[in-house]
Amino acid sequence: MSARSTFRALPTLFRIGFAEMVAYRAEMLVWVLATTMPLIMLALWSTVARDAPVGRFDQQDFVAYFLATFIVRQLTGAWVAWQLSFEVRTGTLSMRLLRPLHPMVSYAVENLAAIPLRLIIALPVAVVALLLVGSERLPKSALLWVVFLLSLLGSWLITFLANSAIGTLALWTGSSIKVMDVWLALFMVLSGYLIPVELFPPVVRSAVEVLPFRYQIGFPVEVLTSAHDTRTALILLARQWTWVAISFFLVGVLWRRGLRRFAAYGG
Amino acid sequence: MSTLGRYWRLLRVQVRSSVLLGLQYRADFALDGLVSLFWTLTAVIPLFTVFHLRGTVAGWTFGEALLVTGWFTLLEAILEGAINPSLTAVVEHIRKGTLDFVLLKPADAQFLVSTARFEPWRSTNVVTALVLWGLGFVRLGHGPSLLGSLAALLLLVTATALLYSLWILTVSAAFYVVKIDNLTNLFNSIFDAARWPVQVFRGLLRWIFTFLIPLALMTTFPAEAMLGRLAPTALAWSLVGAGVFAWLSRRVWLRSIARYTSASS
Amino acid sequence: MNEPMVSVRSLRKHYTVHKRPPGLKAAFASLFRRVPTVVKAVDGISFEIGPGERVGFLGPNGAGKTTTLKVLSGLLYPSSGEVRVDRHLPQKREDAFLKKITLVMGQKQQLLWDLPPSETFALNRAIYEVPVPQFRQTVAELTELLELGDLVSKPTRTLSLGERMKCELAAALIHRPTVLFLDEPTIGLDVSMQVTIRSFIKAYNERTGATLILTSHYMDDVAALTQRVIVIDKGVLSYDGALDELARRVRPEKRLVLQLDSPVDRATLEALGRVVSVDAAGAVLQVPQESVAPVVSRALATLPVGDLTVENAPLEEVMSELFSRSRAERAEVEDAA
Repeated sequence: MSARSTFRALPTLFRIGFAEMVAYRAEMLVWVLATTMPLIMLALWSTVARDAPVGRFDQQDFVAYFLATFIVRQLTGAWVAWQLSFEVRTGTLSMRLLRPLHPMVSYAVENLAAIPLRLIIALPVAVVALLLVGSERLPKSALLWVVFLLSLLGSWLITFLANSAIGTLALWTGSSIKVMDVWLALFMVLSGYLIPVELFPPVVRSAVEVLPFRYQIGFPVEVLTSAHDTRTALILLARQWTWVAISFFLVGVLWRRGLRRFAAYGG
Repeated sequence: MSTLGRYWRLLRVQVRSSVLLGLQYRADFALDGLVSLFWTLTAVIPLFTVFHLRGTVAGWTFGEALLVTGWFTLLEAILEGAINPSLTAVVEHIRKGTLDFVLLKPADAQFLVSTARFEPWRSTNVVTALVLWGLGFVRLGHGPSLLGSLAALLLLVTATALLYSLWILTVSAAFYVVKIDNLTNLFNSIFDAARWPVQVFRGLLRWIFTFLIPLALMTTFPAEAMLGRLAPTALAWSLVGAGVFAWLSRRVWLRSIARYTSASS
Repeated sequence: MNEPMVSVRSLRKHYTVHKRPPGLKAAFASLFRRVPTVVKAVDGISFEIGPGERVGFLGPNGAGKTTTLKVLSGLLYPSSGEVRVDRHLPQKREDAFLKKITLVMGQKQQLLWDLPPSETFALNRAIYEVPVPQFRQTVAELTELLELGDLVSKPTRTLSLGERMKCELAAALIHRPTVLFLDEPTIGLDVSMQVTIRSFIKAYNERTGATLILTSHYMDDVAALTQRVIVIDKGVLSYDGALDELARRVRPEKRLVLQLDSPVDRATLEALGRVVSVDAAGAVLQVPQESVAPVVSRALATLPVGDLTVENAPLEEVMSELFSRSRAERAEVEDAA
């Protein structure tokens, strides 16, 4: 489908995607409740910081950090890898392929359509966070807020594209959930999800600056809690979007090749 | 032909078909073990980082906390290798409506369903658990006391029983809620808190993790037993708690099956 | 004739699969060494279909019918040979091509499960870029033809299998495709629903002139809907022509259905022709084409006949005979080799 006609179809696609999510809301709630890791880590780090701050983080800082992590996680999740593995396994991918709409677009819409509902869950948490910690840590300048919003978008894109790239491997191997598990394990440890990136020993720290994981969740959280000045934030933003571009390219290549192989073997 | 003998034979058949099934997906066979190992290794990193920054947390040193993580890893191995696969299959049965075939068989449904799938290659984590314990004791400079080890062994049984009961409770929920893959995800997310000594949590959360969702009984208490500092009341509660939950989960399961068979068309 | 709608030339589709022998030891061995085998799903098929034709693909399970259909819709790439649908190469999956076709699979569905079918209609309208006035008209026509009523506003998961199939068909036709691929569309449906679906498909073809390619195990589907059948067996085309001609070739015999006023013994019946079945009320005899007239007059003269009809052998039997015959021939060839 041409870019223009895809664009015209988007409102309907989103409307229906949203309707599906609403029909699926009980399960959505359970998914959100299962995001317990930031809260467990919050309990842990609070205990660690009870007598003295850890690095620059005191207990309040940890509360702000991990509640922000919870919120950002809700807004940037994607599950395409599981979708693709499932659809390749059950043969229902054919249904998507018969349509004159690029399957990646339909996956993107479906994953994005969940965000409004997750936002509704995230809002009370945000309110609680503000009440507990106050608003001193929020970004001060309008520019930093813009950077934050852009970082959220970049975050979602990297997560979605990484998911897609790994999901596309299913076109070769039948199911790429194991690879996704490996990615997730690395993500949880190296992205700032469990441990603020600042607290890592120097060796790990330098690796984390270069890998994409931190830009999936750590970076937006850091901007939201004013961990960086404007200049650093902009530099990190550039790095994040470099990763977006790389992921985009990777998915393009993998998808084209994968589809050819899929259609050679079994539709 | 005794019932026990019959169930023993059934178990052997179930295990054999699990292995055959596992061998069919040859890439999975090797990969599963590797992925499990990988998850465990990456999970130790936060532990390492925390204790790198702070020598003692909530009264636990690094070596001692390693014991708790070791117990967690061992239980994960049991969960991933023996409990998860079968019970996930139940979820599939319910979704596809093929649970009826299981219920029609002349054997206890809970037994059949619990022994349907084993994935022993996930038990690489058993080795990892032993390694973690070894590392922990090396750091502590001493080994576990004899009495402590015996108590720990006993607690292994109760911990496994508890894990299994909690799982049965979760799966029984599948009879009431249609899409349950999320519930198993929820279970795993909550269970993840067990990798830390329960003293890390305070107030309401510690109470919940000791009495309501007794993670403490599964990892913290056995570790304390190995260290020879488990309070007798804690030991008593472990035994009683495991029994209570086993009884509770059996009742809930039977109630859920009854509801299913009377409600299904 | 003018340009054919579907043209297939020397289509071949081969797969490489790995054998999985039974038993524990062999399963362990297969971890280290695998035996590859080439499966020839389709091995050299050629045919042409003109616009507006209704064609049925027949063949035993695993014959290559669904594979051919998937190649025609662009889901599978041919190993060799040329396939064109309305001058497009299906494997290119051009948007213009995808908008002209539809594939309905009896075993898989495209309707969104938790939402009403009307939402799937709206989704397809957007994806296929159907102008709104045309969309409304199409939906109205389909609702009337398929007697959908208010089914379209109920969530798909609450509909019965037959109701779902009707809505599936409607969803597949929102964009008024000119080529319809139907893979087992009536599977699992009760008889009255099968009739409804069949008459709808026929009406759609007559109204719009769409080309129809159908695979089905139900001979009634094929007999009611198609003028021409293509028989695919073990990946090879073994017949291409009219259905009754095929039946005549395979089973050139007629059936005499007799209603008898009083029982007649088997020996007497066997003198007239091969006895297919006999009970207290009557008998069914199988008689070669040429002998029909003399046997009928003898039966009427010598037996207490209450009613008599002459029928063709049931298609199901003809088909299973055709496939078992070809299997037997192939077995002979293999034995001889």
